[in-house]
Amino acid sequence: MLLHRILRPLFALVLGGLLSAAAAQGQTPTVAAASDLQFALEEVRAQFAAETGHQVQLVFGSSGNLFRQIVEGAPFQMFLSADEAFVSQLADLGLSQDEGELYAIGRLALIAAAGSPLQVDSTLSGLRDAVARGQIRRFAIANPEHAPYGARAEEVLRHTGLWDALKDTLVLGENVSQAAQFAASGNAQGGIIAYSLALAPNVAGMGTSALLPEEWHTPLRQRMVLMHSAAPAVEAFYDYLQQATARSIMRRHGFSLPGEE
Amino acid sequence: MDWTALLLSLQLSFWTMLVLLPVGIWMGRRLAWTQMRSKSLLEALVALPLVLPPTVLGFYLLVAMGAGSPVGRAWESLFGQQLTFSFSGLLVASVIFNLPFAIQPMQRAFESIAPEVREAGRCCGLSPWQILIRIELPLAWPGIVSALVLTFAHTLGEFGVVLMVGGSIPGETRTIAISIYDRVQAFDNQSAGLMSAVLLIISLAAISLSYFATARMTSRPPHA
Amino acid sequence: MREGLVLSLRQDRAIPLHADLHCAPGEVLALVGPSGSGKTTLLRSIAGLHQPAEGSIHCDAEPWFDSARKLNVPTQQRRIGMVFQSFALFPHLSALHNIAAAMLDVPVAERQQRARRWLERMHLQGLEQRLPQQLSGGQQQRVAVARALAREPKILLLDEPFSAVDRATREALYYELAELREELRMPVILVTHDLDEATLLADRMCILNRGTILQTDTPDQLLRAPASADVARLLGMRNLFTGTVREHGSDHTILEWQGQRLRIRKQERFAEGERVAWAVPSTGVLLVNVNSGNLLTLDNLVNVRVTRMLSLGEQYRVTLQAMNDQLTMNVPRHVAQRYAVTEGQTLEVRLRGDLVHLMPEAAAQA
Repeated sequence: MLLHRILRPLFALVLGGLLSAAAAQGQTPTVAAASDLQFALEEVRAQFAAETGHQVQLVFGSSGNLFRQIVEGAPFQMFLSADEAFVSQLADLGLSQDEGELYAIGRLALIAAAGSPLQVDSTLSGLRDAVARGQIRRFAIANPEHAPYGARAEEVLRHTGLWDALKDTLVLGENVSQAAQFAASGNAQGGIIAYSLALAPNVAGMGTSALLPEEWHTPLRQRMVLMHSAAPAVEAFYDYLQQATARSIMRRHGFSLPGEE
Repeated sequence: MDWTALLLSLQLSFWTMLVLLPVGIWMGRRLAWTQMRSKSLLEALVALPLVLPPTVLGFYLLVAMGAGSPVGRAWESLFGQQLTFSFSGLLVASVIFNLPFAIQPMQRAFESIAPEVREAGRCCGLSPWQILIRIELPLAWPGIVSALVLTFAHTLGEFGVVLMVGGSIPGETRTIAISIYDRVQAFDNQSAGLMSAVLLIISLAAISLSYFATARMTSRPPHA
Repeated sequence: MREGLVLSLRQDRAIPLHADLHCAPGEVLALVGPSGSGKTTLLRSIAGLHQPAEGSIHCDAEPWFDSARKLNVPTQQRRIGMVFQSFALFPHLSALHNIAAAMLDVPVAERQQRARRWLERMHLQGLEQRLPQQLSGGQQQRVAVARALAREPKILLLDEPFSAVDRATREALYYELAELREELRMPVILVTHDLDEATLLADRMCILNRGTILQTDTPDQLLRAPASADVARLLGMRNLFTGTVREHGSDHTILEWQGQRLRIRKQERFAEGERVAWAVPSTGVLLVNVNSGNLLTLDNLVNVRVTRMLSLGEQYRVTLQAMNDQLTMNVPRHVAQRYAVTEGQTLEVRLRGDLVHLMPEAAAQA
């Protein structure tokens, strides 16, 4: 029986693999980061690994979601939020080592996929026109309830008087990456997302974007903090982010740095 | 290609199958032959995960075994690790979520055995254990295999419950389904596409293997 | 304690039971009754597949069930051989392994040998490796019987074993069972709804209705002297009427039936003037001209009109109208032809009073 001759050793192999792999899990420390850092932080991490040999794993999500998971006991050893409020809350709850450090200032951008009727510009006049012409069926932002970038996008829309017109067309991304996805893929005619994401080659190549004035929203002061469980490698990563190499990477991805605003 | 995630998914599927094999046989058998008035209620409870949105199950599991809950705290004091955001938590969620996939086919398989055949076993002097091993299991085997394969394939595809109860911790709870989601959000369609194709092939292979094995089983007379 | 099976059961819920019976080693006892009469429940109680509410069951002085002592020996520990109506062979095992399954307390090698011998004995050589679905109905039945007997049981239980089989095969199986009987030294209990089958195979029959055993006797005795109108009806006796006992003579009784006075066998236990039910077998109604010789003292002439003649192969079942009642008699074909018996004809028939049996008038059914 050919089937048996193949099946038996295959099963043993699989079984062996499955049982032994249990040991080798979860040794690399995990760092939680807001989704706007998707590309910037990857680069910093790679550079950090190259220079120091330390490995850390990155998990991205909306700041609010990651905060909730940490409160529920998720094993993250460091948290890079997209704002300061979540970090303060963690400190108040006694879950972090201290109040953390400011590591970047974020910006917002308007994007539209190639082929969208929306003309992007920093004054949002193109958006205004498209709205007037009824060409915006779907507009993407991150969920304001737990994504700081989403909350700021709402502020921008309210400030420019476009909130009422657009609020019924909004499609809310679970985090700002997903919002970028919706807009860049053309499934939404446009979106307000993180500038750092709009600059990334993957995203930039899919359409056009424009940086939005920072006066239109409360600043995106991004704060990071170490948890009590932070391993030495993670503490090193924390320090690394405040040094020159990391800062220049962040700058290239569209962030302003603390001390330079 | 996230090999860790794939391995994690396979492990979750494997352990879920392992736990549900005895559970499924026991419950499938009980439900097949009981005349209890509460039988319909029990069957409905077992079938609940079929109609329940994964997020509802995820929510209740978070409440029931989260860090603040009695179950969560008990687990932590026993094993030093948390139940949520861990592989163990995923396994608990997976077992519950797969109950109907494991139990229902097995129940059908046992139901298809005529009661007189089991009575004949008793008349031949076979003990209840002997009847189970020599008569019931050989006759129900195709249904049992079918149940295990369904469980395996369904677990590979689990997403909502895993995300809520486990988060997306690489090497611990980031299964391949979640990894695909993660890669899409990172605008990495190449990885996402590759992993999706791999998952598709594995699922197809699993189901085909099971159909093939079942067909062979039902045509070959085994020994007493 | 007596040998063989001794049973006494009472049950009121769901399936009522009121039964006392005894079956000696080597005896074939048939449980006969319409469906729902409780005969299968009774059989299953003996097998241990049903636990009655109250009573006791002993086999060869060994107690199997005793409600007073809260004793209920599980089926697997009672050495019984049971043949199910649907045979209930193990579908995944060959004929040989089906039989071997009843001998798990015997070492493997010997088990196979014995199973082979049983197959030979039941004329199933060459079919060892066949699965049940590859066997004919008759072959499956024989495997089922072999499996039951391979257990070396203390009692053999047969639940309508021939009902799933065609007529020709059934006849062949009757012969085989008769052969086996010669060698079997155990009580055999046969459940059937087929009276002819029971009459053919059984030493004694229990007539059951609604869970109660109405009468137990040899087939002959049952037909000759049914205990009640119910039993007579269940035995399929067609000539069942009511009448009144007029008087008891020295060697006869006068029964008044539809104004006619019949001389019948003396049956004193019914008082003069008492209304009774009475029955006479079809053999007790005959054409007058058929038998030579004078009328016997207990013969009665009855005027009838032939209303129907039903052809049953070698004979006719003739329905006769006698005023308000209908008599049935069987007439061989050649006789009917010789005496030109036809529908619509009026004639006289001979009613044999010595075969008339009196019974209490049927009470209102509970």
